[in-house]
Amino acid sequence: MEVKIALAGNPNSGKTTMFNDLTGSNQRVGNWPGVTVEKKEGRLKGDRDVVIQDLPGIYSLSPYTLEEVVARSYLVNEKPDAIINIVDGTNIERNLYLTTQLIELGIPTVVAVNMIDVVRKNGDKIDLGKLGAALGCEVMETSALKGEGSHEVARRAAQLARESRPVEAPSVFDGSVEHAIAHIEESIEGRVDQRFLRWYAIKVFERDEKVLAELKLDPSLTEHLEQHIADCERELDDDAESIITNQRYAYIARVVSSAVEKKQSGLKMTTSDKIDHIVTNRVAALPIFIVVMAAVYWIAMGPLGTFLTDWTNDVLVGEWAVEGARGLLEGNVADWLVGLVCDGIIAGVGAVIGFVPQMLLLFLMLSILEDVGYMARIAFIMDRIFRKFGLSGKSFIPMLIGSGCGVPAVMASRTIENERDRRMTIMTTCFIPCGAKLPIISMIAGAFFDDGWWVATSAYFVGVFAIIISGIILKKLKAFAGDAAPFVMELPPYHAPAPSNVLRATWERGWSFIKRAGTVILLSSIIIWFLQAFGVENGAFGMVENNDNSILAAIGTAVAFIFIPLGFGTWQATVGVVGGLVAKENLVAIMAVCYGIAGEVSEAGEEMWGILASEYTGIAAYSFMVFNLLCAPCFAAMGAIKREMNSPKWTLAAIGYMCGFAYCVSLMIYQIGGLITGDVGFGVWTVVAFAVLAAMIYLLVRKNKYGEYGERLSERKAAVNA
Amino acid sequence: MLEWFAANLATIIVSLVILAAVVLVVLKMIRDRKSGKGGCSCGNDCGACGACGACRGAQPTKSR
Repeated sequence: MEVKIALAGNPNSGKTTMFNDLTGSNQRVGNWPGVTVEKKEGRLKGDRDVVIQDLPGIYSLSPYTLEEVVARSYLVNEKPDAIINIVDGTNIERNLYLTTQLIELGIPTVVAVNMIDVVRKNGDKIDLGKLGAALGCEVMETSALKGEGSHEVARRAAQLARESRPVEAPSVFDGSVEHAIAHIEESIEGRVDQRFLRWYAIKVFERDEKVLAELKLDPSLTEHLEQHIADCERELDDDAESIITNQRYAYIARVVSSAVEKKQSGLKMTTSDKIDHIVTNRVAALPIFIVVMAAVYWIAMGPLGTFLTDWTNDVLVGEWAVEGARGLLEGNVADWLVGLVCDGIIAGVGAVIGFVPQMLLLFLMLSILEDVGYMARIAFIMDRIFRKFGLSGKSFIPMLIGSGCGVPAVMASRTIENERDRRMTIMTTCFIPCGAKLPIISMIAGAFFDDGWWVATSAYFVGVFAIIISGIILKKLKAFAGDAAPFVMELPPYHAPAPSNVLRATWERGWSFIKRAGTVILLSSIIIWFLQAFGVENGAFGMVENNDNSILAAIGTAVAFIFIPLGFGTWQATVGVVGGLVAKENLVAIMAVCYGIAGEVSEAGEEMWGILASEYTGIAAYSFMVFNLLCAPCFAAMGAIKREMNSPKWTLAAIGYMCGFAYCVSLMIYQIGGLITGDVGFGVWTVVAFAVLAAMIYLLVRKNKYGEYGERLSERKAAVNA
Repeated sequence: MLEWFAANLATIIVSLVILAAVVLVVLKMIRDRKSGKGGCSCGNDCGACGACGACRGAQPTKSR
């Protein structure tokens, strides 16, 4: 008999870690709350009849956040056969709030007190027998991270599910509340699943809008029940929802005092607190963050990363793959086919593959920071800074995800309840360089800046500044006006990175990048090679000697004028920018094919990117990099934006804003920067660049005209005066 | 005709190999697209992404 078991618990209590352990899956695990937004399914190892469902982390079954809506609708509508409630043993009081609600659902529940190793290390003691007796369900101990106890819990939950014994919820509330709930139970009996009767009754008592809408009670019955609730409210001098909340906490306090013995008392600081004292310090937090990110990029893009990438590019791809293939094919197959394989496919795919070592190093660093718990602190640190500019720290969560991929980053903006903040986050989150943009940064750093690690660090902070500047500018528009939504986030305790988590996250990201090189990039390289190899030369169509006469050059040249003021008005760069919309790393493949880089290496033995350096100035290259970092993301991310915005107008506005902003920033970098370095003479576009700079400063410093609800402040002032 | 085939046999074989690779890649991309997988950097691999269920075309919930 197949049974469904749901894993439910507070955010960051270890649900996904246990899910991976139970099912052998590779779900993403992060040491910060909110990693899982959607529910995930897998089958128990060793018993394929048991389906395990990983739910997003929630604090309660009240539908306040998207995660709570997803989890609640699964538990109530899809009715799992059993629930494993994962409780963070180090924070048991707060976690038991959800437990009391889950038990009310009437579904067989096993409480897994997780992180029991940390509980023991802290010297605390939890009496599982007493806890289970008080809660009316089975309580077991686990350490999901160490793989202890998870399978026993799953087996017990499956056994309870198969027995399908009725569950008796403990008496949590006072007499008058229980009396009112009993009345409600009588009134709605038969309208809901008998198992969920108590849960529905409590929700009716709390006046839960979603439940009331679902039950569609008669007005007379609603009025009758309302009287009972109002009587209770009068007696206890509080509103119904608060009564339930307070009495739950009072009940939990009683349970904890009898079943939990805490060694630490008072305000003794834990190791995490001590680290946070420094890391989240009001003054030192931001410099520490900058140093940490600089170190991450230095390791990934510095000597070690560069050595690995240079070896991959020059030896593995340049010497072995290209030269090996050329030696094998030349003289045996047609010349055009040699060109297609060596200068098209291998050069294109190889140019992207060459950056895999650096990318793996970067992902490894970011995964370690995430697993240790530092990333959660960054959201906390950035909240203070973002708040000044109209964004909340909640907007930084998608940006953290965005350093991997823009698509889930845009999706993660769903957890932002405020529509204006959500739209603004979607419009700005892709400014953070995703993994696919790393090859562009590496190419520019390698070709123009002597592999300077600072190029990548600056690219990251260009993204952060672009978000801050956009926040300030957009918040002054009517559509985005209003204070940033409050941001509450639980900081998880620091722990040593789990090698399996870190390596798995790194490999998953790296492998997906390699897979794309073998599919999208391969196809694109073939198409680009044909388009740049064929054209009209000497009045006849055919293979061209000089690819400036190719079809691709003709197309690229027709639109290249747009980028002349930005310093990269060549057809190759133009085609690269457009091709980057398919996948950002495709830009590097296109440049490699268009400039015949594979051929250069083999014939002249030049430095891989030397040819690029001879085509563009350093400032033009930096402008090119910034434009590609900030402009419209790849089609997949644009699709995500379209889905999340749920409006063609807002989708166009978002993509248009990104492109416009990228153009303005690159224009200023090339024109003003070029003037300073002496690469650009004073001209009309320099004047335009200064005008754009002045306009941007004006937009940044001008007074905000709109209030919290988009109303004009001047009108509100006049109304107050009147 | 046979002579031409013999002279260009290597070219034909390599071309066919490339063509087969392209067809396989295109078929895989079509299959992925039909099964609702996007083209994001998380590699269509839901194991690597906490929000990947969202990549499968679910509509966002209206905010409160």
